[in-house]
Parts: sequence; structure tokens; C-alpha cells
Amino acid sequence: MRAQDTPTAPAPALSKSCQPGVSALTGETPLPNVAAALAQRKSLRILSMGAAPGRVTVRGGDYTDLIETILHKAIKDVNVVMINRGVSGELAANAATRMKNEVALDEPDLVLWQVGTNDALAYVGAEEFAATLKEQIAWLKAHKVDVVLVGLQFAPQMLRDAHYNKIRDTLRDVAAQENVLVVRFFEAMQIIEQAQREGTVPAADEFDRTEAGYNCLAQYVARAITLGVFAKNMPKRPEPPPPSK
Amino acid sequence: MPREPNAVDFWRGFALITIFIDHIPGLFWSRFTLVNFSVSDAADLFVFLAGWSLRLMADGGGRHMPTRDVMLRLFGRALELYAAQVLITMLAIAMLALSAIELSNPLLLQWHNAASVFNDPVPTHIGLAVLTHQLGYFDILPLYVVLMLMAPFFAGLDRLAPALTLPISLILYLFVLAFRLTLPTWPVAGTWFFNPLAWQAVLVLGFTLARADYGAGAFVRRHIALLRILAVPIVIIGVCVPLFDWWPDPTDVPSPKLFFIMDKTFVTPPRLIQFLSLVAVGSILFPYIRMLTKVALLRAPVQGLISLLAMLGRNSLYVFCIGSLLSLAGQIVRFYYRGTVASDTAVLIVGIIIMAFTAWLAESRQRGRPARSAPSAQQQS
Repeated sequence: MRAQDTPTAPAPALSKSCQPGVSALTGETPLPNVAAALAQRKSLRILSMGAAPGRVTVRGGDYTDLIETILHKAIKDVNVVMINRGVSGELAANAATRMKNEVALDEPDLVLWQVGTNDALAYVGAEEFAATLKEQIAWLKAHKVDVVLVGLQFAPQMLRDAHYNKIRDTLRDVAAQENVLVVRFFEAMQIIEQAQREGTVPAADEFDRTEAGYNCLAQYVARAITLGVFAKNMPKRPEPPPPSK
Repeated sequence: MPREPNAVDFWRGFALITIFIDHIPGLFWSRFTLVNFSVSDAADLFVFLAGWSLRLMADGGGRHMPTRDVMLRLFGRALELYAAQVLITMLAIAMLALSAIELSNPLLLQWHNAASVFNDPVPTHIGLAVLTHQLGYFDILPLYVVLMLMAPFFAGLDRLAPALTLPISLILYLFVLAFRLTLPTWPVAGTWFFNPLAWQAVLVLGFTLARADYGAGAFVRRHIALLRILAVPIVIIGVCVPLFDWWPDPTDVPSPKLFFIMDKTFVTPPRLIQFLSLVAVGSILFPYIRMLTKVALLRAPVQGLISLLAMLGRNSLYVFCIGSLLSLAGQIVRFYYRGTVASDTAVLIVGIIIMAFTAWLAESRQRGRPARSAPSAQQQS
């Protein structure tokens, strides 16, 4: 598979309110199976696992709808199919077992896995969480399915929660070790919230912030996928330092 | 007077406590529940026993009941379950909101599919009312409601052509598996975690096997010894799968894959066969458990256990509802106290005490009502 075989597209632009958070995102990580699917079939099947936030656009779509819309615009003439199989409250270990069935049934090119929040809230051990992630990533790689991990949900109060931060760090470390793409939702939202406090972007109340957060998340994921599709086989990049706590 | 403890109530009580524990993710004691030693779990048992009880309801509990009355009774039961689902969902949302306020943590508003309730209440409240939006771990009762809406059809068919009841249920089940039919969720896109179109097979199996004098139920009773021998290796393999991670790779199985993979949403054939094997083997246990009461040292604890589980099972809807809310409360407590073994043990003990109190309260109310004939213990077991 050569990168120039894939349709070409620039990374989709981020809305102004989401731009501050982009500095928390990692760089480009190749998504070879997604690139191959686009080149061979002009179609992309994305399996979404994890919590479902509800509406993030005024027209009523949720965040996976928005990802689909952005990808449709960013990658022309490609059929993007988003398959939602999120189960709320599910721990990573249970999601991993279920994900194997969903991969067998839906044959996705990419799994979008929002993971970690429930394990952190349920006090699952960091080692156990890491082992689950590594095993699942290995299984997905062996079955030629790319994965984008979506990090933990943000709430300022969780900055003081040692276990929540440990699970967050574990997710980042595993993603770096396994060279898979992780959209660090928590860190991005933290920066956006800081920007709102400083007046750089308009402030929002709690509900608007959640809605806006998932709206930004959709933009980050779509951007990460687009960059990953057109990334060549890059060496592993060092992680940027986490934002100050 | 409540009926004497019997196997159905005992195992239903067992299923209720197991569901309560399993619905507190990360709880220390959840590593000892059925799901850790079996491909199927307490949900299968709960629905199967609901089908068993449906037989008693459809047959009028030993009295002749006109078909029209049976239909009305089953629709009434579906309505009762629906009301219970709406009530506990509203209480769960209030619990999450209260916790978010008291703990000053908005993250709790996003827990268990509640984000949509708070962020996008207009369509989500429609979804809650029509059961297409379900909170995490509050998804068994919606299944039960749909099954009870299907129950009049199966109960009516059973009166007209009993030989067709199980075959039609199984044909629907296989059709659903072959074409992967399911119910969608809305407004959040997705599918029901428990697919009622597939799970109806578990209900109807319970319903048909409960009939002792005809069809599959009579066949199973005639050949139960042989069936148990055949079931033992399946049960042993079913223990090894979760214990030693022997889950087969679902990508390796032939199409249609839902016939061969182990899936809870569609309660696929490997899971269903393992569950029925477990029932065949497990059904021998209750008389032996009861015999333990003849051992002086064990009499009090075993009698207490039987009485407790049977009481929970007799009042399954009340206990299930309170158990669902207690599971959510348990998660909030674990979050606050950081999920230590001590706090987990306290959650377990307090939860079971409250579930037992709920059942006792329900029976106390019944004791205060005029007596009416109830199904005998023999009919139940």
C-alpha cells in the first residue's frame, strides 16, 4: 500500500473554540488499514465503542455523526459508515470481549474506542487496565483493524483524583508503546477550559461545555483519522509533555 | 401467606442478588459471581425463570382462566413492568444529579448514558418514555417489557396449538440471528443491549419447559438423567471458557457468524446451549441444598439462605427494581470511598439487607390483604 494511492485531502480545519485544545493532541500516527480501505474500496467502516454523549450539534447528531460528516467533507468520494456499538458504563475488559464479536460481525477498518473513564470511576487497577488495552490492541493489529483510542472524559474535579490521573497516564503510555493513535480528550478539554477562563474563547456553562467538548472531540478524531490516513510509515514520535495539572 | 420456598423462587432470588452484584462494575465480590464461571449469566437465568412463571400465569395458577383474561393479565403485567422501568429510571437520573451536586462533580452527569438526558433532554425524554433510551445497567426491564408484550401471543398460541409455540419462537430466533435483526436506540444511535427478538427464545424455552405433561417439558422430564450426562461436559467447558480465557476467535467462525459466536445481545446458540446445560445440571441442586438442613450444624444457615433467596424470588419485581437502584448507589459509594474491599463488603451487605427488607415489606402488605388462592409450591417447582 502506497500513501499516494489513497485519495488526497487536507486535515479538516478546527472550529475556533476547539483550536486551543489541539496542542494536547499527539502527532500523526499511521492508520495503514484505513488507508488501504480508502484506496481499494473507497469506503471506510468505523466501529465506535464507548460512552454515548448525545447531541453535539444543533441539528441533533451525536459525536459519531459529526465525525462521519467531517470525514465525508474532508475525504471526497469516500463512503464513510459509522457503526455505533457503545454500551454505557462498560469496563474496558467487557468492551474488549464484545468488541471482538463486533469486529467479526461488522468487519470495520477502524475501531474508535472511548476507554478509561468507567475503569477509573470503578477503581480498576492500572496494571489490569493496561493489560486489557495491550491485549486488545494486539488482537486488533493481528486482524488488520486500526484503532483510535479516545481518552478519559474531563471534569476539573478529577484533576485531584490520583487514580483517575493514573488511568489517564496509563492510557497515554500504552498508546505510545503500541504506537496507536490516542485523542487525549481530557487534556484538550482542560486547555479549552483554561482558555475559557482566560477569556480567549467564549465561556460555557456545564451542559454547554459537555456538548461543546464532544463537538471538539469529533473534530479532533476526524482530524486524527485524516492525518493518520495520509501519514507515511513514520517512526514513533515522542509524546508531547502533558499540560500542567 | 406467602408460598413455601421452592426451586424457582430460590434460583430467582439467586439471580437477583447476582444481578445486583454484577451491576456494580469493579466490586470486589463481583469476581465470584456466575459470569466468572459460566458463558451465560444471571440475566439468562432471570429471563428463563420469567418464562417459567409465565406458564403459571398463563395457566391461571391451577384455575381455569379464559384466554381473554389471560391476555389482559399479561398485558397488565407488561404495563406494570413498564411503569416500574419509568420509575426506576427517573430515580436513577435523580440519584446521578444529586450525586453530581453533592460531590461537586459534573462527570457523574455523563455516567451510564445519562449525558444525553441532561444535555439533550427534549428527544431523550421521548426516548426514555418509549424505551429507546436506556441508562447503563437499566436495560433488563425494557427487555422484560417487550417480552411481556410478546407473551400474550405465545400464551395464546400455546392454548390453540401448543406444539407450535416453541418451534415458532425458535424460527423467529434463527431468523433474527441469520439477518441480524435488532431494535435501535434513539436519540443516541445504537442498538438494544438485550435484543428482545432473540431473547424471546429464552423466555419461551422457560415457558414450554415448565409444562410437565406435554411437549418439550415432558420430554425433558422423561430423559432428564441422560440429558444431565450430556450436559456435564458442556458445563465444564462453559466453566473453562471464562476461567482460562478460552473464548474462540469470533472472526474464525463461518457465516452466519451469530450462529457460532458467544454473544450476549443475541443470546447466541453456544451461549443458549451452555445455559440450558447449566439448567439441566443445576436443577438437581435444590433438593440437595434443602437436605443440608438435616445436618444440625448447617440447619440454621442453610434454612436462612433458602428462606432469604425464596423470599427475594417471590417478590422479584420489587426486589429487581430496588436492586437496580442499589447497584447505582453502590457505584456512587464506591466512587466516593474509592472501592476498597471494606467498602465493597459494606455495599454488598447493606444491599442484600435492603433487598430482603423490600421483599419482607411486600409480603407484609400481602398478608394484610384478603386471602386468595396462590400457585402451590409443587406447581412452581
